Amino acid sequence: MAFVEVSGYSFAYPCASEDARANEEPSWSVRDASLSVEEGAFCVVVGRTGCGKTTLLRSMKPELAPAGRRMGSIRVMGRAVVQDGVRVDDMSPRESAAGIGYVMQDPGAQIVCDTVWHELAFGLENLGIPQNEMRRRVAEVAHFFGIEPWIHASTASLSGGRQQIVNLAAVLALRPRLLLLDEPTAQLDPNALKQFLFMLGRVNRELGITVIVATHAPEDMVSYATQTVELDAGFAPASCEQAKHVMEPRWKRRAASMAEQPDLIAVDEAFVRYERSEPWVLRGIDARVRRGSVHAFVGGNGCGKSTLLKVMAGIMSPQRGRVRNASSSSQALLPQDPKTLFVCDTVADELHEWSARCGYGAAEEREALRRAGLAPCGDRHPYDLSGGQQQKLALAKLLLTGARLLFLDEPTKGLDPQACAEVSGIVRALADEGRTVVMVTHDLDFALVTADEVSMLFDGETACTEPVAEFFENNLVYRPNAASRLFGAI
Amino acid sequence: MDHVFASYHPAVAFSFIVCAAGLTMAAQHPVYGVLSLVGALATSVVVRGARPTLHSLAWAVPMCAIVACANPLFSASGSTELFCIGSIAVYAESLAYGLCSGAMFASVFLWFASYARCMDSENSLALLGNAAPVVTLMTSQVLRLVPQFVARGRTVAAAHDAASAAAPRDASEKARGRFRIVSVLMEWGMEDGLARTDAMRARGYDCGARRTTYRRYRFGRVDAALVGSIAALAALNAFLVATACAQYEFYPVMSRLTPWWGYGAYAAFLALPVVLRIKEWWQWHSLK
Repeated sequence: MAFVEVSGYSFAYPCASEDARANEEPSWSVRDASLSVEEGAFCVVVGRTGCGKTTLLRSMKPELAPAGRRMGSIRVMGRAVVQDGVRVDDMSPRESAAGIGYVMQDPGAQIVCDTVWHELAFGLENLGIPQNEMRRRVAEVAHFFGIEPWIHASTASLSGGRQQIVNLAAVLALRPRLLLLDEPTAQLDPNALKQFLFMLGRVNRELGITVIVATHAPEDMVSYATQTVELDAGFAPASCEQAKHVMEPRWKRRAASMAEQPDLIAVDEAFVRYERSEPWVLRGIDARVRRGSVHAFVGGNGCGKSTLLKVMAGIMSPQRGRVRNASSSSQALLPQDPKTLFVCDTVADELHEWSARCGYGAAEEREALRRAGLAPCGDRHPYDLSGGQQQKLALAKLLLTGARLLFLDEPTKGLDPQACAEVSGIVRALADEGRTVVMVTHDLDFALVTADEVSMLFDGETACTEPVAEFFENNLVYRPNAASRLFGAI
Repeated sequence: MDHVFASYHPAVAFSFIVCAAGLTMAAQHPVYGVLSLVGALATSVVVRGARPTLHSLAWAVPMCAIVACANPLFSASGSTELFCIGSIAVYAESLAYGLCSGAMFASVFLWFASYARCMDSENSLALLGNAAPVVTLMTSQVLRLVPQFVARGRTVAAAHDAASAAAPRDASEKARGRFRIVSVLMEWGMEDGLARTDAMRARGYDCGARRTTYRRYRFGRVDAALVGSIAALAALNAFLVATACAQYEFYPVMSRLTPWWGYGAYAAFLALPVVLRIKEWWQWHSLK
C-alpha cells in the first residue's frame, strides 16, 4: 500500500441553484483522479488553473477538505480519508495537523503572526507542545533554513520569497511526514523561486519527507521531481527557438514601424529614494519609451523597476531629474494585484463603474466583457474569478477608459501558461492599435513573446536597452527558459 | 530592543512606569511637578534616546505653555494680581497652577512614550501571555494586519490616482473614490481572512489541545528585587505625595515651600532608570 493512494477520486462543489441540484450529473471539479505516491517521493501534480489541483490537495488534508459530493477513495499515511465517496474521520485533527503539512499559494495571506519566531511557534503552540520541546523544534527549523539572523523580524517586512520560506519552516516545525504544497512558487520571482525549490528539495531528500506539489509551471521542478502526474493535458512545452521562429515576422514588422516613432516618455537622470535616510533606489536613471511600443523593463529584485514604473506613471516624483510623459492625461496603471482595482460586487458593475466619467456605454461594456472572455461571468463577484480572469477583468476595465498609455506591473504574476498567453495576446493587440504599453516583469519568457523593446535595470540605472530579439541574443545568463509551456501556447 | 530595561523582565519596566505615571498624575504640587518632569525626561532619554526625547519636547513644551496660559483665563482665582487683559485679571497663583498642570501633562505624555518603547507587543504579552494565550495570539494578529492594511491602502490609492484616463471629474466623485478604497480594503481583508483561517486550521488551531506559549520570560532574583523596591518606594511616595498635597494650597495664596526629605524619596524613586543606565555604563568602562 502506497503512502498516499488516490483512486478514482471525483469531487463536485454543491450547486447553488435548485434546478442544477435536480440535475443528475453534477459538474465535477476533480474527475476520476488517481495517483499513488510512495514514502519519500517528490510528486509534481501538473495542471492549469481551475483543473482541480487545489481541490485534490485539500481533499487529502481532513481539516481543509471542501464540502460537496465525492466519489472514489483517498488513503493518506495508511489511514482512510475518503472511502468509496464518504468522508471518514479516521484521523484526529491533531494527527492531521502534525502529520500533514500544507503550504498555500499566497505567501502573505497564510502568515498568522506578526514576528517570524511567533509564526514558527504558532502550530506548536496550537498543539500544546511543552515549552522546552517547542524551543528545540523552532531552533532546529530556524537552523535548517538559515532563518536565525532574521528570526525577530516582523513578518510583514519580509520579501515574498522569505515569507514563503517561513511558511515552509513553520509547517516543518510540526514534524510532518507528508507535505502538500499548492502552487507555492506562483507568486515568487525567479530567484526566490529557485531558492524555495532548493529548500524544498533538501526537505525531501535530507529529511525524507514525502512532498506533493501542485503547479502550472513544472519546468522549474523537473530536477527535484521523482514522479509527475498530469491532471489535464494543457499545452505541451515548446522550445525557445520555436517561439522565436514564430515571433520573427512580427519583430521585423514592428521594428520597421517603430523606428521613426518619437519618444512618449523620457526620464532624465532621475534620482529617487523613499526616505531621506534610505539609499537611492534609482540613481540617475535615463529611460525612453517610444510611442506605440511595448516596452518591458526587466531586472532582479530591488533593481528599482517597480519604482521606475511609479515615477513614469507620476505616482512618485523624483527628488532630482526630470520625467516627461506626453500621455500623462490618458494613462492607466494595472498594479501587481488586480484586486486593487475592484470596488463593485459583480463583474458587469465593475466594467460599468467609470462609464459616466469616461463616456462609454452598455454596448462597449458588453464588447469588453466578450473580448476578455468573461461573457458568462458577468454576474459573478470579481473575487470569485481565477487569477487569470481577474487580470483580464482589470485590464478590460482600464481599457474602457480609452487610455492611450498603459502601465503593467508584473502582469503575469501567478498566471498559468494559458492565461499568460492570453494576456500576451491582448498586449500585442493593444500595440497594434497604436497604444503604448510599459511593463515591468520578472518573466523573461513573457517579455520575449510580448515586448518590442527591452531594458535591463541594474543598481538603479538602465544597463541596456535593445529591441527584444537582440536583447535576448546578446545576453548570456539572463535569458528565457529553453522550453516552456507558454511558448507552446503561443 | 536596547533600552535600559531590555535585559530585565517586562514586569520591571511595567511597574516602574505605571507607578511613576500614577504618582505624577496624583501630585498637583510645584516641587513634585518639577521632579516628575525631570524624572520623565531622564527616563525618556535613557529608554528612548536623546533625539526622540527632543522631538517629543517640541510637542510637549507648547502644550505645557497652552495649559499654563489657559488656566488664568478660565479660573480667575488668587490674590496676587499680575496684570489685566481687558476685564480678566491674571493672578500669579492661577498662572502657577496652570504651569503645574502643564508640567503634569507633559510628564504623563513622556511616561506614555517611554511605556510604548519598553512594552512592545512581545513584552505586553509576556505579562498576560501565560494567563491568556488567545489574547496573545489576537494581539499578534492585529499587529500583523494593521501595517498590511495601511500599505494596501496606499497601493490602492496610487493605482486609482494613476488612472488619469478615469480621473474623477469633481470633488464629490473624488471623495466617493476615497471612500471606496475603504470598501476595497474591507473586501480584500475578508478574502484574506478565509485563507488565514485555513492556514490556522491546517496547523492545528482549535484542535482541542490547550495552547502553550513559546516565549519564555524568566522572573529572576534581580527582577524580584527591582519590582519589590519599586513597589515599596512607590507605596512610600504615594503616602508622602498625599501628605504634601494635603498641606499645599494654591488659592488664595500659595503655601510656602520648605525643604523636606519627602522630595528626596520621590527623586530617589524616579532615578531608578538613570541608576540602571549608570551601572551599565560603569560595567562597560571598568570591565574592559
